[in-house]
Amino acid sequence: MKINSLTKDEALRALVSTDEGLTEAEAVKRLSESGPNEIRETRKKSLIIRALHQITHFLAILLWTAAMLSFLSEYLHPGEGMMPLGLAIIGVIMINAVFTFVQEYRAEKAIEALKMLLPFFVKVIRDGMEKEVPSREIVPGDIIYLSEGDRVPADSRLIESSLLRVNNASLTGESETLNRDSLPAEGELLESPNIVFAGTTITSGSGKALVFATGMGTEFGRIAHLTIAVEAGPSPLQQEIIRMTRLIAVLSTLMGIVFFAAGQVIGRGFWESFLFAVGIIVANVPEGLLPTVTLSLAMGSQRMAKRRALIKTLTSVETLGSVSVICTDKTGTITQNNMTVAKIWHGFTVLDAREFTGSSSDPLLRAVRFCNNSKVIGNQYRGDPTEIALLRFAIDKAGDMQGERIMEIPFDSDRKMMTTLHAIDGLKLSFTKGAMESVLPLCTGLLNSGRTVALDEQIKKDALAAYHDLMDKGLRVLAFAFNDYSDQTPETQHLESGLIFLGLIGLEDPPRPEVPAALIKCRDAGIRVIMITGDGSRTAVAVAREIGLVNEKPLVVEGSELAEMTDRQLREKLSSEEIIFSRMAPKHKMRVVTVLKEEGKRVAVTGDGVNDAPALKKADIGIAMGLTGTDVAKEAADMILLDDNFATIVNAVEEGRAVYENIRKFMTYILSSNIPEIVPYLLFILLKIPLPLTIMQILAVDLGTDMLPALALGAEKPTPDLMKKPPRAPGERLLNRGLLGRAYLFLGPIEAAAGMFGFFFVLLSGGWQWKEPLAPDNSLYIQATTACLTAIIITQAANVFACRSAQRSVFVPGFFSNRLIFSGIAFEFALQFFIVYHPWGNKIFSTAPVPIVVWLVLIPYALLLLGADEARKAIVGRRRQRCSS
Amino acid sequence: MLSLIMYHKILAAVNEHLNSEVAAHYALSLAKELNAKLFICFVAGKGMSQNNRRAAEDATRRLFNEAIDLGVQAESIAEMGEPVAEIGKIVRHEGISLVFASTRREDIHKRFFTGTIARSLSLKLSCSVALVRVVHSGRVQPSKILVPLKARIDHVDERGRFAAHMAKTFGSKVFVFHTPKPIAKFFHGGIHLTPQEWEKRISNDIARFMDCLSRYKVEHEGRLLPGKAARNITIEAFAKRHDLIIMGASERNLWASLLRSSPVEEVLRETPCDLIILKPRHED
Repeated sequence: MKINSLTKDEALRALVSTDEGLTEAEAVKRLSESGPNEIRETRKKSLIIRALHQITHFLAILLWTAAMLSFLSEYLHPGEGMMPLGLAIIGVIMINAVFTFVQEYRAEKAIEALKMLLPFFVKVIRDGMEKEVPSREIVPGDIIYLSEGDRVPADSRLIESSLLRVNNASLTGESETLNRDSLPAEGELLESPNIVFAGTTITSGSGKALVFATGMGTEFGRIAHLTIAVEAGPSPLQQEIIRMTRLIAVLSTLMGIVFFAAGQVIGRGFWESFLFAVGIIVANVPEGLLPTVTLSLAMGSQRMAKRRALIKTLTSVETLGSVSVICTDKTGTITQNNMTVAKIWHGFTVLDAREFTGSSSDPLLRAVRFCNNSKVIGNQYRGDPTEIALLRFAIDKAGDMQGERIMEIPFDSDRKMMTTLHAIDGLKLSFTKGAMESVLPLCTGLLNSGRTVALDEQIKKDALAAYHDLMDKGLRVLAFAFNDYSDQTPETQHLESGLIFLGLIGLEDPPRPEVPAALIKCRDAGIRVIMITGDGSRTAVAVAREIGLVNEKPLVVEGSELAEMTDRQLREKLSSEEIIFSRMAPKHKMRVVTVLKEEGKRVAVTGDGVNDAPALKKADIGIAMGLTGTDVAKEAADMILLDDNFATIVNAVEEGRAVYENIRKFMTYILSSNIPEIVPYLLFILLKIPLPLTIMQILAVDLGTDMLPALALGAEKPTPDLMKKPPRAPGERLLNRGLLGRAYLFLGPIEAAAGMFGFFFVLLSGGWQWKEPLAPDNSLYIQATTACLTAIIITQAANVFACRSAQRSVFVPGFFSNRLIFSGIAFEFALQFFIVYHPWGNKIFSTAPVPIVVWLVLIPYALLLLGADEARKAIVGRRRQRCSS
Repeated sequence: MLSLIMYHKILAAVNEHLNSEVAAHYALSLAKELNAKLFICFVAGKGMSQNNRRAAEDATRRLFNEAIDLGVQAESIAEMGEPVAEIGKIVRHEGISLVFASTRREDIHKRFFTGTIARSLSLKLSCSVALVRVVHSGRVQPSKILVPLKARIDHVDERGRFAAHMAKTFGSKVFVFHTPKPIAKFFHGGIHLTPQEWEKRISNDIARFMDCLSRYKVEHEGRLLPGKAARNITIEAFAKRHDLIIMGASERNLWASLLRSSPVEEVLRETPCDLIILKPRHED
């Protein structure tokens, strides 16, 4: 039993209140107990905590450690360039933290939009008198006044009402206004006709209501809490970066320990060994990875924006690529939200709307014209899309018709019909429009060729068969009836009885032309599409068939069935191949999304209403409608569709997959250069040669020359087969054995060989003898380290091309198809020229100009790298072909 | 149904606040279901204003009349003094088996309810205590009761019976909810298990609790959702529109509560529906 089922007196008694309202003293006491009537941002982390989080996540901690070790090395061994390295690493952490923080801060405004839906002041009865008090001071037991235009401040039970109508769109997503009264009613609170909810609007009439829930206890508070508290969890990319960071942290620490031990064993001093261990650890940390990933995601989001998908949180760019289920609305997303009259059942025949002819005295056209609340203002039609389509149809067929409305029984979602009474040409006619199941039982006759015939069982059967036939064509079908009261004065309660059935009108909301192709793409890409619509089952199935969403007989689950199901039952239903959810309210969406996510699916869901916000937050990707969506939905979403089009979602998924592929490409590229950075240290320790590459030179690669080519790889276009593969499995790793093996054991060693060749080429050309010690400021030694660095740059330039695809030849996508690659390489070489030939570059990076011959002898290594990788691709490709055949 | 009855004498502590009267209604309904005797008790503390005293006496009178109307054997007691001590005396003297008391809003702002009457009652009384937090006066009779459980719980039998009694009182369905710790490995990160896989890991205590509900023919359903307990409980209650939550009292000490926070405290702060925190005293 709930408060809606109590009588007025029982409700007042339950809340210890009276018709006179509460006393001010009691209201103050209750306010201290129930708290203010406001939406609280529970669990909101302070700005400082959120900012701190950006610099204390695992990768940041790894970078902090590297920076601290650099400072320690600088302290122990000044002048080795460790201080600038430490500072540069801290710079990387900070820039990335600020970027991410700004992104997240912008994404958390849903709750502000929700708060705007509550009123600031409310008329209330206190101490028996009408008073205006701030809405936040309303308490359970207060009696509030409601009148047209008011926003309801708290969930309340009506105790008096006069023609009160409310719009519950903010809660239910349904735009139709609803009648409300003060009589006791059974059933759920949300559907009860004597309850008004916080955040909803009084559209007409007036009343008095007893407040029973305030603040976060209201239905509105429920949406707010879920919008705040529900989280999709870390994105796949965030999880992958955590895993990767842990792996790199352990690997580099182990290597550091091994090198420290090796140094001790071969007789290096303690501090010397320690410094080189630090060098190894720092060389292993991919300092440039974080900014490259962030910038690559930002570029991905820009590409998506060009395809009409606005990304709000950067990580969503990659998450989109892993989506395995899309739960989509129908109206406006799959269809055009452009209603037109398509078919008419009139006089036992189905006519195409274009074939239908009628005059202004035709009762069906009169019913369509007059039993209609949309308006023509100037050249514009205003009102509900269905009503506009009907009005447009009537005016097209019969021109403007004159008549005076005398009375109206408004549309009600329980009655599913509306009736109006009019004075037309001296006649008094009533017209009824609504759902077939509501209108047909009220009819006793049927108008056929101007004559009224009795509505017998056979005619009813025919009418129902026509109704089902039209619905099976995917049309929204409305029934029309009328009555003539010219010789009597009708009473309201009798207006909807003894009606004469006029016919049926089927309205069509055509599918968007791009949708069928987008659905084929989804099927090829192994993405399941589930339609969740408020429409009836037959209409939903017909539309789904028309667009190719379902082939066989799909399983249809209606909202009322879903409400009764346990989670286990829902899981079973969701395992069917083809499923459609019809007659669904937004509140059901979150449940479907939750169950799918529990099953391990990566879910994208569309939504436009306030009540969609929790589902949008819960999904891996919440997608709001840019044209028709509420501010709350847009703020809660990860992505906004600028054209509300389903096909745009699929385009965005394709871009998301491309981003993931591209991240793998530039990770291979970035990790490859770790090997030529580590090998010099290995040889330095093991062979007791001068150190071939300094820490600052490593930094020049990681945070300098590598950056733009890596970003260019992040801008690679989606490959044609990208949407032919199933979504990547949740267990699939970003850094898998294949990627690590290719970077560390194949590409990296070639680069390392080039580096060491360059180093020894310069040393030996300059007359250096094996194991001859060289001072750090020795010009030959400086030239040799410069040659080692140059070798890495040259081979990395070839590596960019190699990394454009792990499997396909560099010539397959077209050598010049990504022009950014050439810009990246140009930047890489420009920076290297600065480092090698400019005095400032020489000073910062401890380099010296090298003759052109050094560059020339290193070029074959670039060709070797490219050729070797082409050969590997060919062998792997052939092996793969053999396996598949 | 004699075997169901564990609480023969139930005491409802009433004060000047509406919360206590709503909380007492739970006691009244349960007393009716169990045919138990209801003691409606108001203790006027030192310095209580005349208005507050009158409000509490009015509430006591209303509840007493209601009990009589419902055919519940009732007795109203008004005392002066320190509430916890006075209620303690009544509990011992009358052999009360269950006390219902409401929490105050100010209680929820205190860590671990330190120094609150609610906490003192729960710690010092020799009988079982049901602390009620009232947040929604519109759900007069709960139809969906959420019972969050830890993997290992004590007094399984009493907890099961209490939930069963409450469900039978209101004809409600019970939703047993468990939030296990997510599974994660250092290099692998979080490991996703499907609900079916989680169900295989259900603890013996939870299974016993559900057996208890089955024994008493209470309609129920189980659900496991890994994550943070308090957050999951409130989200579940908000999302599925539960009318009442029944939780066990926190067994973490102050230190553990400060370090790891207390799910009970968090739920108490954020619950969307009325919440009963049960401190059971009857041995299994």
